[in-house]
Amino acid sequence: MLCKARALIAALLAFACMLIAAVALAADTETVTIDARFSPDKLGAPTNLSATAKFSSAAPGPQSPVTKVTAYAPAGMLVDVRGAGTCAATAAKLEAVGPSVCPADSRVGFGKGIGLFEIAGENVPGPFTLEFFLARKEHGHIVMLIYVSAVTPATEQLALVAREVRAPKPYGFGITFDVPIIPTLPGAALGWVDHVFLTFGAKNVAYYKTVHGKKKLVHVRGVVVPTTCPRGGFPIKAIIGFADGAMVTVTPTIPCPHKQ
Amino acid sequence: MIRTALATMAVWAAPAAVAQAETTSATIAPSLFPNRLGARAALTFTIRYAGVEFGVPSPLNVPSPVRRAVLHFPAGLRLDIPKLRSCTVARLRAHGASGCPARSRIGSGHALVESRTGSQTITENITLQAFLGPPQNLRPTFAILAQGYTPIEERVVLKGTVLADSAPYGEELKMSIPPIPTLPNEPDASIATFSLTVGQSKRRRARDANTVVVPSSCPIGGFPFAGEFTYADGSAGAALATTPCPG
Repeated sequence: MLCKARALIAALLAFACMLIAAVALAADTETVTIDARFSPDKLGAPTNLSATAKFSSAAPGPQSPVTKVTAYAPAGMLVDVRGAGTCAATAAKLEAVGPSVCPADSRVGFGKGIGLFEIAGENVPGPFTLEFFLARKEHGHIVMLIYVSAVTPATEQLALVAREVRAPKPYGFGITFDVPIIPTLPGAALGWVDHVFLTFGAKNVAYYKTVHGKKKLVHVRGVVVPTTCPRGGFPIKAIIGFADGAMVTVTPTIPCPHKQ
Repeated sequence: MIRTALATMAVWAAPAAVAQAETTSATIAPSLFPNRLGARAALTFTIRYAGVEFGVPSPLNVPSPVRRAVLHFPAGLRLDIPKLRSCTVARLRAHGASGCPARSRIGSGHALVESRTGSQTITENITLQAFLGPPQNLRPTFAILAQGYTPIEERVVLKGTVLADSAPYGEELKMSIPPIPTLPNEPDASIATFSLTVGQSKRRRARDANTVVVPSSCPIGGFPFAGEFTYADGSAGAALATTPCPG
């Protein structure tokens, strides 16, 4: 059961960094629908970026698990983490100890979803949660630790590392991470994800910091909506790799803010 | 001098009783200081909420957000307001406490709110400041400014109206508690503890400060208090408590 849960989590993880609304097909069987939004959706303002990804397959039976996720945010979207803390723990330590190993002010995002795995021909759901922590930068690029936790049907935790990558035009901030394939029982199918919801940043995050010996409330801008919106909305791209070799590319958009 | 019969809330006290809803339990703990018949005093009223698991309050479970609270106060307890000034909810929302006349302030306190986000329970300390609102249908109203700073800076205003109550209570305070938003698609925050002190004891009181006046007589068993709560998940619960008669 534990092995199956690990496989399920691995599948779930795969979707941790998708941002956005679109549908893509892989190998004519897998379908991914992504819906994303800024809240509030005000140009140039600190915001929360949330996204829901829904996975389905035209083929019956177990779906292929995700092995890699790369996501690109729209050009102009800032990720300003000044004022936030960093989690100095390694992924292994986070996995072993849990989120308490990371300071509260290093938490930059959350997520939750439902994974599925097949037991005796039945699809068994497994809810899971995701937490994103800001880690130490590598070569000036943002690094995040992703903590995944499932409690039922079996307790299992996993930690992944997501790294900032250069994004092609018309995208800006990009992030990528691999999802390990973890076998379940011999001959059994791997777990896969049904849907996942992610949320990053907030409009009013603040932490107390000691500045020149004095306690001061420091606001973290976090995710900032671009100052201009291209015609058709903010473009986003997600590339999802599956264990069967299929690759799904999703190119949804976030609608431009309503004019005040 | 204007005297308004009391109906409010605040911190720690003597006996507290528990009543249970389906998913959330609440306890109330009122106290009077000084606890002397007829004295001008401070009333502290604390409410604690806990999630319920297998019929037992569990500190590991986040309580359901409370949406409505009705607090019952003993007959004879009243609020003494020498110089009436009031502050509207809209003004509090827009300008915070500094936007209201100092004389409209009747109390202060603190609260702790919780939200289950990811695999963790996130908590936030909240400061409370209570103000007298403009009368509605000749009944007193209150507004409580709840301000939190970290990790999410948020300001919420709770509204309350005082109505006549039936024995053994004198008046009741009906309060509506707005949703406390966290993040998109994440649950609203829940109040875990709420503690408000109204009035001031003599030691710290200005001559014309707003104070609570202890009833001039005490029923057998002590001053009765009660609270009824309705939660966002549709469940409801109640709690009873008494403060001992002055010795």
